Amino acid sequence: MTKRIFRSICLVAIAVFLASVVLFLGVLYDYFGNVQQKGLKTQTELAAQGVQTVGEEYFEGLSPKGYRISWISADGSVLYDSEADFSEMENHLAREEIKEALASGYGESSRYSVTLMERTLYSAKRLPDGTILRLSVAQSTLLTLMLGMMQPILLIIAIAVGISFWLAHRLSKNITAPLNQLNLDDPLNNEGYDELSPLLRRIDAQQRQIRRQEKELRQKREEFEAVAENMAEGILLLNTKGMILEINRAAENLFGTTHSCIGKHILAVNRSMEISELLSGIEKGVRTEKIIDLNGGKYQFAVSPVKESGNLSGAVLLMLDVTEKEQAEQMRREFTANVSHELKTPLHTIAGCAELLENGMVRPEDRARFYSQIRGEAGRMIALVEDIIRLSHLDEGADDMKRERVDLYELAVETAGSLSGEAESAGVSVGVDGESAMVDGIPQLLESIVYNLTDNAIKYNRQGGTVKVSVGHCPEGVRLLVSDTGIGIPKELWERIFERFYRVDKSRSKELGGTGLGLSIVKHAAGLHDAKIELQSAEGEGTTVTVVFPAAKE
Amino acid sequence: MRTRFDEQLNTLGQELIRMGALCEKMISLAASALIQRDDALAAKISPLDQEIDEKERQIESMCLRLLLQQQPVARDLRQISAALKMVTDMERIGDQAEDVAEILPFLNGRTLPEHIQIREMAKATIRMVTDSVDAFVKQDTSIAEAVIASDDIVDDYFIEIKNSLISLIAQNPNEGEYALDLLMVAKYFERIGDHAVNIAGWVLFSVTGEKGVQPPTD
Repeated sequence: MTKRIFRSICLVAIAVFLASVVLFLGVLYDYFGNVQQKGLKTQTELAAQGVQTVGEEYFEGLSPKGYRISWISADGSVLYDSEADFSEMENHLAREEIKEALASGYGESSRYSVTLMERTLYSAKRLPDGTILRLSVAQSTLLTLMLGMMQPILLIIAIAVGISFWLAHRLSKNITAPLNQLNLDDPLNNEGYDELSPLLRRIDAQQRQIRRQEKELRQKREEFEAVAENMAEGILLLNTKGMILEINRAAENLFGTTHSCIGKHILAVNRSMEISELLSGIEKGVRTEKIIDLNGGKYQFAVSPVKESGNLSGAVLLMLDVTEKEQAEQMRREFTANVSHELKTPLHTIAGCAELLENGMVRPEDRARFYSQIRGEAGRMIALVEDIIRLSHLDEGADDMKRERVDLYELAVETAGSLSGEAESAGVSVGVDGESAMVDGIPQLLESIVYNLTDNAIKYNRQGGTVKVSVGHCPEGVRLLVSDTGIGIPKELWERIFERFYRVDKSRSKELGGTGLGLSIVKHAAGLHDAKIELQSAEGEGTTVTVVFPAAKE
Repeated sequence: MRTRFDEQLNTLGQELIRMGALCEKMISLAASALIQRDDALAAKISPLDQEIDEKERQIESMCLRLLLQQQPVARDLRQISAALKMVTDMERIGDQAEDVAEILPFLNGRTLPEHIQIREMAKATIRMVTDSVDAFVKQDTSIAEAVIASDDIVDDYFIEIKNSLISLIAQNPNEGEYALDLLMVAKYFERIGDHAVNIAGWVLFSVTGEKGVQPPTD
């Protein structure tokens, strides 16, 4: 801008200067021309007086300086000329000033020489005798004048250009200085040109708008980040090329990366082919879902394309931890399969026996055995169904069962008594010791805990083994301990024995009876009482199950 | 011009990661098929080998095009030439995983004797391949150096397995064929480990310009 102003000022100054020089010269030239013409007229008058008084002798010894004097007769022939050989000169009657002088007594004219470098002024006067006296003077033309004045003019031009450069420079600087010093951060607080104030006001308004929008954006961003960072699901934003735009903490943990992965390709974070395949669906613009094994867990990956005005602009990858859900689903499926199987087995026996009886294929003396088998299997089914009902009841939370204060020791003694028949037939001795200990709980459930544990201890014992049930106080509350000297459980199965229908030794389960649900019920019932179960077992030596209940409140 | 070149280099890197992921998948399939004695898993390997061959050709032509069109220098040149070499090693890993898969049907009919540490060796080899690809992805020289160092572990496993197999044959000469098949598998894993070391070496070269360890040649 400074340059442009400078250039304009300079050009204007130089143009004005040149124009004035030319005009001035023109006017000056005209003025001097007039003055010269007047002087020439006076000289002509004087010379005419001279010629009139002295006659032809006037010309002798005449040495006019700067003038040329011609004396011309009335017929146009030259009688005298101060510069040329007048005898050879042509007739002058056709000349303008002569014609004029002949007509009115005085005439003037001016003519340019052939070269145009000179102009000649003529002044002629008719003498009383009819002859004409003519004086002429050479005048330099404007061009000559200018050529002659070239040096000073150039000097003046140089000085003028210099001055105009300097002035233009300063001026342009002065004009732009307030513009350069504008404080755009605070547009309203500026001294300068009034013409700028609408612009500055506009800038101010826009700046405020930008600040407001920035604040809103920041707020929204912070909100989004707060939501994204604190959600348990992993979120990952990708652009169309697969570069990571945003990642939350859950996703970082899942992929084992940090925030620094933003801007990198998703492949740099996880290169598993499942995820690559999943992401390749983005281009089609459809939402895809898949359950992928990652870090030993199962995650549901959902990829949704992000569209902006119809064009694909990226994708959102959402990761949900479905490990537990999948496991629960798996357990439910297994449970259903197991229940159906367990229910079917006794039904087959019942149906088989009944069919044989119906067709009369059983000898009368054997019938009793068949009836008792049918009854036994039906009993097993009833026990199974009861266990399932109890378990599903526990699954529901057993809210409707009443809690009472129960003496665990008393319960253990009663249970041991009721199982004495089984113990006797298995050749196992059962002993209960300890002290009276009160527990707040649901009597039926507490009973099933003690019953199932003692029952297992008797069933999975060896001939002549012992079962010890002891109840007592401990720092955490009340402790129920059931230990046996039986077959024991391998360490890797300790967790599994609490699963529904899980049997350590599948071959013996049939012969021993039982539903496979006992320990599962114990686990659930203990959970409902906030009790902890501990298992200690060595193969071939025996098993000790400890259940620690919180003590009854005083 | 430069941005386009950078973009092409990024694409090259991504393709290499994809190829590395293919390698990992193949070798882990081979190892799972061996450990779980599952021939169905082994059958999945062969189609992946075609994919990996295709990828090798694709990356090679990409590298050559970059070399011709961009005439890279310094780090870019190292990156591209390392990529050219790496794909060869990756492709070899794929081939050897396929070779393992071809032997597996002869092995899987039998229970692996507990004392033969082929499972451990397979796991250590998978670790090496995964780490070498990781080193490339993260351009991390420390991981690359760790991979080169861990080659000794795999080599030791190979020697141990070889000795156990010798004693197996000595005890029961009828087991000869089985032992030789197992030895082949162990050898393939050992070779895969060497290729992982090569890859790690090329990562070192592409990052630092120096060949960390002279990789064993084929």
